[in-house]
Amino acid sequence: MIPGPAALRARGLTRVYDDGHRRVPAVDPTDLDIPEGKFVTIVGPSACGKSTLLNMFCGLDRPDGGTIETPVLGAGALLGRVGYMPQSDLLMPWRNVTENAAVGLECLGCGRAEARRRAGEHMRQFGLEGFEHAYPGQLSGGMRQRVAMLRTFLCGRRINLLDEPFGKLDAMTRTSMQAWLLDYWQENACTILFVTHDIDEALFLSDEVHLMSPRPGRIVLSLAVDLPRPRRYSEVVTSVAFNRMKATLLDQLGKVAA
Amino acid sequence: MKARILPSLALGVGLLALWELYVRWAHIDPLLLPTPTAVARYLAQNQALFGRNALATLSELLVGFTAGVIVGLALGVLMNAWRGFRDATYPWLVATQMVPIPAVAPILVLWFGFTLTPKATTVALMCFFPVAVSTVDGLGAVNPEMIRLLRSFGARPWTVMRMAALPSALPRIFSGIRVAMALSVVGAVVGEWVGSTRGLGYLMLHFENRGETAGLFATVTVLTFMGIILFFLVGWVEALVLPWRKYAKETL
Repeated sequence: MIPGPAALRARGLTRVYDDGHRRVPAVDPTDLDIPEGKFVTIVGPSACGKSTLLNMFCGLDRPDGGTIETPVLGAGALLGRVGYMPQSDLLMPWRNVTENAAVGLECLGCGRAEARRRAGEHMRQFGLEGFEHAYPGQLSGGMRQRVAMLRTFLCGRRINLLDEPFGKLDAMTRTSMQAWLLDYWQENACTILFVTHDIDEALFLSDEVHLMSPRPGRIVLSLAVDLPRPRRYSEVVTSVAFNRMKATLLDQLGKVAA
Repeated sequence: MKARILPSLALGVGLLALWELYVRWAHIDPLLLPTPTAVARYLAQNQALFGRNALATLSELLVGFTAGVIVGLALGVLMNAWRGFRDATYPWLVATQMVPIPAVAPILVLWFGFTLTPKATTVALMCFFPVAVSTVDGLGAVNPEMIRLLRSFGARPWTVMRMAALPSALPRIFSGIRVAMALSVVGAVVGEWVGSTRGLGYLMLHFENRGETAGLFATVTVLTFMGIILFFLVGWVEALVLPWRKYAKETL
């Protein structure tokens, strides 16, 4: 694979958690390059340090060793400059759909009315038309996830970190959300770093897949997914190339998990 | 709503009917226990008197309640934002609740005289505590994941407080305010008992001294209804301020 200009570059990244009694290594020295404009996925078993990586990439957590560079953003603190979407949707039950989607913009200093107007403009695109004034408690899981995603994407960040955004959805909702996310990403050029423990999901979505070992996490296999785009789920997951890559990943996962 | 009011209404009417029948059949001295109808008659005949004194109590109560809620909220926010302040003040705030209010009330009268101030202060002293405690608890219970999300958007601590902690604490704060409202009725009456020339608490002493039991019962009735209406008024304001609550399946 020919490396393009990197959106994000990590070198020798480590993280150790200290719970007062013992030191638990969460991430072993990790190198990672996320090329600009690409869809890159980190796949790995539960609790392998995937989320820890994302937390360091968005500035919420500090690495104990190593460096993170973001050439496309320039130098400076990461917090507030990298888009981040956590595992649970974290919608505020006291805000309706539009107001929830506007939360990110409001935090960035955008005026309340302006933030809500801009959120309102994307309701159709995010399949939320007619639900602008609904409260989160009235929405389905898929819709809640789309509100959370709109909240992150509205901030217009060049790098977006998505932490298992579809993990809690049922299989059918999940498939349609994946297709929808790909459409969105192709229309809006940005870099996405996606985290999942679902190998099918990783291969279907990504340009590159990095497999992480169980804790302490490190990248044990990197794979370029050269499947043509646009991708149709039914065609991709039944193709020979897809299943060959899936077998490679499963083999490797079996080795490191053993 | 109707279905929920009906059983309690039926129970109330039933008990009143039993009371009425008992007093009539057992020939109880009306100085000891008047019939509900006698109490109702007394109320109807002295509407102006009760109205005037209820209004006096209500104004003391609302001034004290408002002050107590504001002080309680401010203390709660400060205690949440500033650990040192919390550690320094918390035991003393608890101590204020251990001092019997009837013991403090005469001192307040000594200081402020037969004015509205000692009554409102008594009410405020009883009100601020549940509000302060529920505010501290509510603000502390905000989902830490939510705080991280807002920080990832670049939010400053005050923005986190305003956007996440305060709104998620509001249901708990309102529980504290409801308790405060119920206590404030007691506070106002106690405040009046130790030194006043008007108000429902004063009226109770007045009737007691003159042996007008029906008047005493009528005063208690007015006081009770006032308390109930105020209590449900808080619930109504809560429903207005927190319209999302009926849809919130999960607690945050």
